[in-house]
Amino acid sequence: MKRLAWAAAAGLATLASPSPAGSWRAALDLAGGTLPFTLEIAGAAGSWKAQLCNGRVCQPLSDVRVRGDSIVLEIADYAASIAAVVRGDSLDGTYRNVGNRGPRVIRFRAARGRWPVTRAPATLVGRWDATFFSDFGSSPRVFEFRNGPQGLEGTMISNTGDYGHFAGTVRGDSFALAHFDGSFVYLLTGTVHGDTLRGVFHAGPRTETTWIALRSTGAPHLKRPTEITGADTTAPFRFAFPDLDGHLVTERDPRFEGKVVLVDIFGTWCPTCHDSAPALVRLYRKYHARGLEIVGLAYEVTGDTAADARQVRRYRDKFRIPFPLLLAGINDTEAAAATLPQLHGFTSFPTTVFLGRDGRVRRVHAGFYGPATGAQHERLIREFEGEIERLLAEPST
Amino acid sequence: MERRGRGTNAPRRAALACGLGIWLALASAGVLAAQIPSDLARERTDYAGWLATAPTSPLAAVAQQPIGSALRLGPSDADIPLDGVAEHRITQRGGAVALEGNGARRAVPRGAPVRLGRYTLLADGPAGRAVLTVFGPTRADRRPAFYEYTPSLVFTGPLTPAEHAGTVRVLGVDGIEVEAAEAGSVLVPAPGGRVRLRVRRLPTGGGEESELEIYFRDGTNGHGSYPAGRFVALVPDGSGRYRLDFNRARNPFCAYSSAYPCPAPWPGNTIAAPVAAGERYAGGGLTLPAGPSAVP
Repeated sequence: MKRLAWAAAAGLATLASPSPAGSWRAALDLAGGTLPFTLEIAGAAGSWKAQLCNGRVCQPLSDVRVRGDSIVLEIADYAASIAAVVRGDSLDGTYRNVGNRGPRVIRFRAARGRWPVTRAPATLVGRWDATFFSDFGSSPRVFEFRNGPQGLEGTMISNTGDYGHFAGTVRGDSFALAHFDGSFVYLLTGTVHGDTLRGVFHAGPRTETTWIALRSTGAPHLKRPTEITGADTTAPFRFAFPDLDGHLVTERDPRFEGKVVLVDIFGTWCPTCHDSAPALVRLYRKYHARGLEIVGLAYEVTGDTAADARQVRRYRDKFRIPFPLLLAGINDTEAAAATLPQLHGFTSFPTTVFLGRDGRVRRVHAGFYGPATGAQHERLIREFEGEIERLLAEPST
Repeated sequence: MERRGRGTNAPRRAALACGLGIWLALASAGVLAAQIPSDLARERTDYAGWLATAPTSPLAAVAQQPIGSALRLGPSDADIPLDGVAEHRITQRGGAVALEGNGARRAVPRGAPVRLGRYTLLADGPAGRAVLTVFGPTRADRRPAFYEYTPSLVFTGPLTPAEHAGTVRVLGVDGIEVEAAEAGSVLVPAPGGRVRLRVRRLPTGGGEESELEIYFRDGTNGHGSYPAGRFVALVPDGSGRYRLDFNRARNPFCAYSSAYPCPAPWPGNTIAAPVAAGERYAGGGLTLPAGPSAVP
């Protein structure tokens, strides 16, 4: 339905030629392959809009400027942009963001239309236990592949969470899945060899990591998310950070007294946190009346209180978050860990800390399996609900 | 590695062996100068633009120091004196970097620039060993200069895995120490025989990205190119082989500002012959040979 609306808006636009309105089969040229994604551009002079899509999952771009045959698509969250020239039915330009060691620039191309939908064969669909082999050593991943409304889709999961939604294509025994959100540039290519997959993971313009995956037997391949970060459980979990209006909020605030509390350690910059936020809001609405509180600790990009507060307000409004969000620090795992000394081995955003009615830590869940993980996501939500039910059932101290 | 001339078929290995003695000499004389490929021209323009405008351009760098537990900034007797800046301290505790001053304290993210008066501060490097680079309000009026494009200095070939895998601490292009992995080596044709160059994988900060880099010295060092050596990236070509383009060799940031330390040479990575390709050294008292090709 949403896609139809976009198409209709594009069709209504009356523009001087060449108009960029419409659907575009876009691609980034990486050293080892082509990363496909879709751009949907709609509107008219002065009111252009665009969204970037990985298959069925789209996100709006922050600004679109069209001048003559030039178009600039801004991705403000990541200080990145795509600049291109419209040449008839093609766009040609670059994606770039400012780096500290030089610009990060990747060639961008697009042609009018949409990528063909291809469905994955049964030999590819399912859960795979993968091992990545890099110069820094080997490490585990899990692939979840399935067929969605737009063909092959899925995600990749590490010990600390998933990489977001990937959209894919299949040709014979070969397949490719891509994820581009304006900052992270991921392309997974591989081939099927019976119950083994082999391939390359491309990150950014030219990092390649080879991998092998075996069909999952159901045995654990990744560390359990509850085994990654430990906690001091001998005393109530302490935190003291300002809210978005500058008022200090601590664990001793009356609203948390005698309640089951979920502490959501997140960042507005973190794609997986964008997956977890709606789930936490649903949990809050479901259990708040029975004694659940949630508090979000935001670790942001700039360290500048005013700028970070603006970002967090946007995040709060976007997800209609009814619980307090506090400005806790910056998005550096070591720096964040230093602000929460009762946690041991903090490594990932988001991390959810479950506190019992006595304020002590009962569970620390590192990472989050977003909707892209399908059954994993459903299982995680059930686990969260089970844990909340259990904690709510404990007597108040 | 095989030579990969632009617009030509890849030469056979036998032909390479006798042609190799020629390519460097011809390139030095400018005989093989050819039109620069559009992607390389664009890269150079992008880089020149970044040098001229980025807040963290090395042309604007005024100081770089390890933070240790703390550094004083501002007054004339501070670790890093900064005109017009009241006393501040940048501290590092448990991997967290913070800026303290004027009665306030703010966290400083590693890898993200923050403002202090007219200056920009950038804390970067591994947790606990972070380094502070300070950038001033003005920058040296200098543009990078390059040798003429030489298609015969583009090679493709395999990467031979390292005999002993492991990591080593080295300085990156920005003078900051990183934990690099020994990725292997490439065999590069050169006059007098092939040279094996060590390849290391350097993290690029955050995410899953990294770069295969070769830090090398050659016969042009101090005679047109920067004396300490240059970096060149090894780029996968999608077929399991790699592309080494010396036209993309670039200076470490110490060539732009004495604020940066220069990386120490990597063992064995010396090509005795001149590699007259890639970035030249455009400042610091060395005279550029005639006919440098500046960014258009």
